[in-house]
Amino acid sequence: MSHLRGQVEATIASFCFGVAPIFAKKGLMSGLHPFYGVLIANGTALVIMIVLALFSRQAWQWKSSQTYGLYTAILAGLCNSVAIITFYWAMSIGKVALVVPVTCIYPLFTMLVAYFFMREGEAFDRYTVIGTFLIVIGVILTI
Amino acid sequence: MDLSIFLSIVCAIAWGVQSIYLKKAMGSIPFQMAILITLTVNFLILILLIALGIGKGFSVFLTLPAPVYFYFWVAGLLNFVLGRGLYYSSFRFISVTQSTSISSTYPILSVAFAIIVLGEKLALHQWAGIGLTLFGVYLLMVKGKR
Repeated sequence: MSHLRGQVEATIASFCFGVAPIFAKKGLMSGLHPFYGVLIANGTALVIMIVLALFSRQAWQWKSSQTYGLYTAILAGLCNSVAIITFYWAMSIGKVALVVPVTCIYPLFTMLVAYFFMREGEAFDRYTVIGTFLIVIGVILTI
Repeated sequence: MDLSIFLSIVCAIAWGVQSIYLKKAMGSIPFQMAILITLTVNFLILILLIALGIGKGFSVFLTLPAPVYFYFWVAGLLNFVLGRGLYYSSFRFISVTQSTSISSTYPILSVAFAIIVLGEKLALHQWAGIGLTLFGVYLLMVKGKR
């Protein structure tokens, strides 16, 4: 059941990731620099998450959070910032038809890094490896 | 190598590695807190970049029309709150590789939207791409059930 929940959540996340750029594109059609758009979208989400945290137990769990978890979350944020900045930089100087397919290979890097650094927590078998490769190739072909 | 391709590869690596750090972080802190921290880091870096002179300064925000704000509010809600929230949450139930692969299939949804709603026609290689992606998702789902 929990596997199904994880799969459903990842699928709905995919839907949200697919629909969000439509609105972002509409906003960018005004000629706005992409960084301002990302800042508004990011700021909106930040305010919502702060409000949600204040009205849930999460705000209180902050004190008991482990330092390791905080550091790795900050590293994740830094990685995400690098990804956003390089993505928009690449989009501004290169062709969308080239940039988007190349960035779509990121599940391969996740799989590679997980294989070397998270082998204890990740179940690797031929289905996962072949499935990931097929998805990446399929997405690149479709774009 | 073309600079845009190099940047795209850096982007893919950063996105790929980000998931690993998140999964590790969520072993110690709640996933809502992980979202909050990553959003805060992103926000501060973007503020810093604009302060350093990228764009035309902060006064731009005063001149933006309301519809532009609306579009980015919706984009932020869909991408950063709902999308990321569910994506991070799924790490608790399936492996980070499976979650990242499944959530990366969103271009297929865009294509499906284009076919159903806009009536667009697809080339043969695009149909092949959809088939490969769906089969890849099927393999991950089969794996997930085991």
